[in-house]
Amino acid sequence: MVGALNRAMEESSEPQLDAKSKVTNQLIDFEWKLGMAVSSDSCRSLKYPYVAVMLKVADHSGQVKNKSFEMTIPQFQNFYRQFKEIAAIIETV
Amino acid sequence: MAAELEGSKCLSGLLSGLAQDTFYGHPGITEELLRSQLYPEVSLEEFRPFLAKMKGILKSIASADMDFNQLEAFLTAQTKKQGGITSEQAAVISKFWKSHKTKIRESLMNQSCWDRGLRSLSWRVDGKSQSRHSAQIHTPVAIMELEIGKSGQESEFLCLEFDEVKVNQVLKKLSEVEESISTLMQPA
Repeated sequence: MVGALNRAMEESSEPQLDAKSKVTNQLIDFEWKLGMAVSSDSCRSLKYPYVAVMLKVADHSGQVKNKSFEMTIPQFQNFYRQFKEIAAIIETV
Repeated sequence: MAAELEGSKCLSGLLSGLAQDTFYGHPGITEELLRSQLYPEVSLEEFRPFLAKMKGILKSIASADMDFNQLEAFLTAQTKKQGGITSEQAAVISKFWKSHKTKIRESLMNQSCWDRGLRSLSWRVDGKSQSRHSAQIHTPVAIMELEIGKSGQESEFLCLEFDEVKVNQVLKKLSEVEESISTLMQPA
């Protein structure tokens, strides 16, 4: 029997998780890179930092896939903040 | 040169149209559209070089991400040039850049990001209990759904499961990222 403590139903400001993907994956590895975009053909003075992430995930069959994406610094900070929230809750459950 | 082109009345509208086309990727902003909407009295032959000049100025300003000192120096130089701009026009361009700078810069940043972005993130924490053939085991699990994608493409929804150990491992990595960011942002 699975008992679910769904924090989203309580006071959370985060949207209720109604997973669109039915399959959950396990995180095998989290690789990151902090980059700085200096210049491009459309903008000689870009100068913006970004966080590039490479997730190694395994599905139920054990097949490993790489998923990559980029975040701006504010997006990263939001991501970090949410992880800290998760850590705080999972500790108390 | 047509008198209308020397004025600054419709220049603000023209710059908006140029920004829509050049930076925001809004389709359909043609030369003819801009001319007929803003400078209907001017012929296309006269309008074309004028448009090219204004486009060039706007692109230079955006490309260098000019601050207000640089902008002033640049525009002053343009007013002194042969076939340059009037000081009235310089004032309009300056005002335009000041109010659109942030938005234009954001578009340029987006345009140069070719990887997918994190569009949204949602999560919940479940407490799992097993009862059959074993003592009650309480293992909390975090379920996280990442929406990964880029504009114009369908998103991928990646659903991940983490136990407490894994959450803390990731958290440690994230604090390393944060440390790097702080080091980067420190004044030289």
